[in-house]
Amino acid sequence: MTHLTNIVKKELRELLTPGSVVSVLLMVLLFAFLGGIVGGEVDKVKTLSPMAVVDDANGEVDFPDGTHWSLYDNMASMYGNIPEGKTIDDYLFRLSSVTLPDGSIDRKDLASKMAEKGVTSAILVPDDFSERLAKKRQAHLEEFYLYEAEGMFGSAPSITASSMVGSLNTLLSGFLVGGVVGADAAFYLQPIRLNESGSAYIGTMVNGSFVRGVTPMEISSQVSSQTMMVPLVIMIIIMMVGSIVISSMGSEKENKTLETLLTLPIRRTVIVTGKIVAAAIVGLVYGLAYMVGMSFYMNALTKEIVSGVNLDDVGLGLDLADYALLMTSMFLAIVCALGICMIMGAFAKNYKSAQTMTMPLSILSMIPAFVIMFSGWYGASGLMQGILFAIPFSHPMIAMQALMYNDYVLVLSGIAYMAVFAAVAIAVTVRLYNSDILITGLGQTSMSSKLFGNRRKSGESR
Amino acid sequence: MTDALVLKDVRKSYGNREAVHGISLDVKEGEIFGLLGHNGAGKTTTLRMISTLLRITSGSISVYGHDVTTEPEKVREVISYLPEDAGAYKDLTGRAYLEFISKFYTTGEAQKEMVRRGIEIADLGDRIDSKVDTYSKGMMRRLLIARAIMPSPRLAIMDEVTSGLDVINAYEIREIIRTIARNGVTVIMSSHNMFEVEMLCDRVGMMDQGNLILLGTPDELKEKFGAKNLEEVFVKAVMKE
Repeated sequence: MTHLTNIVKKELRELLTPGSVVSVLLMVLLFAFLGGIVGGEVDKVKTLSPMAVVDDANGEVDFPDGTHWSLYDNMASMYGNIPEGKTIDDYLFRLSSVTLPDGSIDRKDLASKMAEKGVTSAILVPDDFSERLAKKRQAHLEEFYLYEAEGMFGSAPSITASSMVGSLNTLLSGFLVGGVVGADAAFYLQPIRLNESGSAYIGTMVNGSFVRGVTPMEISSQVSSQTMMVPLVIMIIIMMVGSIVISSMGSEKENKTLETLLTLPIRRTVIVTGKIVAAAIVGLVYGLAYMVGMSFYMNALTKEIVSGVNLDDVGLGLDLADYALLMTSMFLAIVCALGICMIMGAFAKNYKSAQTMTMPLSILSMIPAFVIMFSGWYGASGLMQGILFAIPFSHPMIAMQALMYNDYVLVLSGIAYMAVFAAVAIAVTVRLYNSDILITGLGQTSMSSKLFGNRRKSGESR
Repeated sequence: MTDALVLKDVRKSYGNREAVHGISLDVKEGEIFGLLGHNGAGKTTTLRMISTLLRITSGSISVYGHDVTTEPEKVREVISYLPEDAGAYKDLTGRAYLEFISKFYTTGEAQKEMVRRGIEIADLGDRIDSKVDTYSKGMMRRLLIARAIMPSPRLAIMDEVTSGLDVINAYEIREIIRTIARNGVTVIMSSHNMFEVEMLCDRVGMMDQGNLILLGTPDELKEKFGAKNLEEVFVKAVMKE
């Protein structure tokens, strides 16, 4: 067994403790659990929402030309396919109201009736509804809701009721126009047909190719749903591996195991490389675990909500070579983070002081994560792009979107930059490992002596 | 007798502050050499320079003919350093720790034999398979001494080796040091404990404020100062300085 393998195995044994593995697994389970909750909320929105109509027989309209239009029937028709074993009466409840002495509706009574039926939205038909329509004057329909502390999609019932009123308007317009112009009602209502997703009358140029049937918004929302979690996951990995390495260094110093390690017959580069390789492996394993957990969550959140555009169909899909570049970019970002941490860890005096040293790394990983999540690389200003490029952790966060847009120059230049950055960081680390600072910490070097002066009188020794 | 260790006008500065002021000494092969001095005298700094942990500012240190500045890796092949209050990796068992260390020195059957020797020196019984973080201070020290001795170093460097140990543990560790010295291992150790050094060491060097103020066998030094023990020698020497 080589010395490097020996160090890597020891580091892995220290880093992958049952406690740390369990905490990561719990994190994955938490994301999956959250995904389940969010998925449940999404399913709730997708299922047919029951609602009530309080019409007291006022929703029946008899027009002067002898035609008849029923509000309830038209509302019922909008529920479309009722699931097997159910009837319209399970979704659309006809409720009666109690009128108070002042002529208004007793809303408390209505609310309790709605609560009894388990509905949170109702359409109330005023007394003059039919009369006004018959006279071809605009009528009103009142929307009435029960507010409940619901989940993230708690506003769904109000959307359903509002859209119900909108649809009723269209149906009634069709009925009225049909009565005037006959079978051409559809034409008069919509002389220019609105294009829906997938229509042959929509087209977008994507990456130099013309794609029919999709809008930029649909593509953008699909790209966002695919790439949104990447910056977050990378930020978490960077912060996690950074904390692991700096803590490990602090712990080695506190227990004086580092002094022993440095006097063993092995080269310092082997020690540095061993620590970095082990932490990078742990970072990738944890990163994968987070990625799986996050994907549970994101899939649950975005299913059926984002457009159903297949990115492969619009030329934005990634192939194996793209994924290899993405993985390379991620690995190098982790190595850069570890290089920075090893340098900072060299200055840590003990485990506690090491913990505080993760702050600069956290800030450096949070800046690109949030900028890229909210404005993206391509939406950032020139100055911000310069800052993002200089921070090595930005590159894997940018890479996925850049690969989708075939921006290989950006991805490859990022990889080259990170390779140089990592090499410099490792070289500095090895230099530090060969210096006194690893043993003495800050405050004992000639540089600090120049900066802070001699706090102890000359000649005093340890 | 061969020189195991030679220090020539060794100085160590931290910035503008000089911690060790040009000390010179030599330790013969198989000798137990004690560095005495109070806290801050420069003992640990000197031992760390010999162990290649700290760079010397000027002068030279040679370990079995290898220069610590130009051949640090060669030096590390023949030394074993035991820092004061050192610990081991808490998530490893005593056996796993010895196995980890042994793999840097040898492989195969020789490596297994080295671990067997380490376990024998540590003499921790069944507790060798317990995690290190469950060990008492005495058990930890025995494990670390075993770690330091099992590779059969030519020079063992031990900093405050019995510091904080109870009488029995300290006695047993001193016995281990005597045994390895009889087997040809050169030992340089630092201590506050003058009586321990007097009992154990063939020669001693006394340090004060980064200077080596005395050098000789315990008997020579006692005779020189007309003192009953090394403690008295040390007090008289420091007062004289």
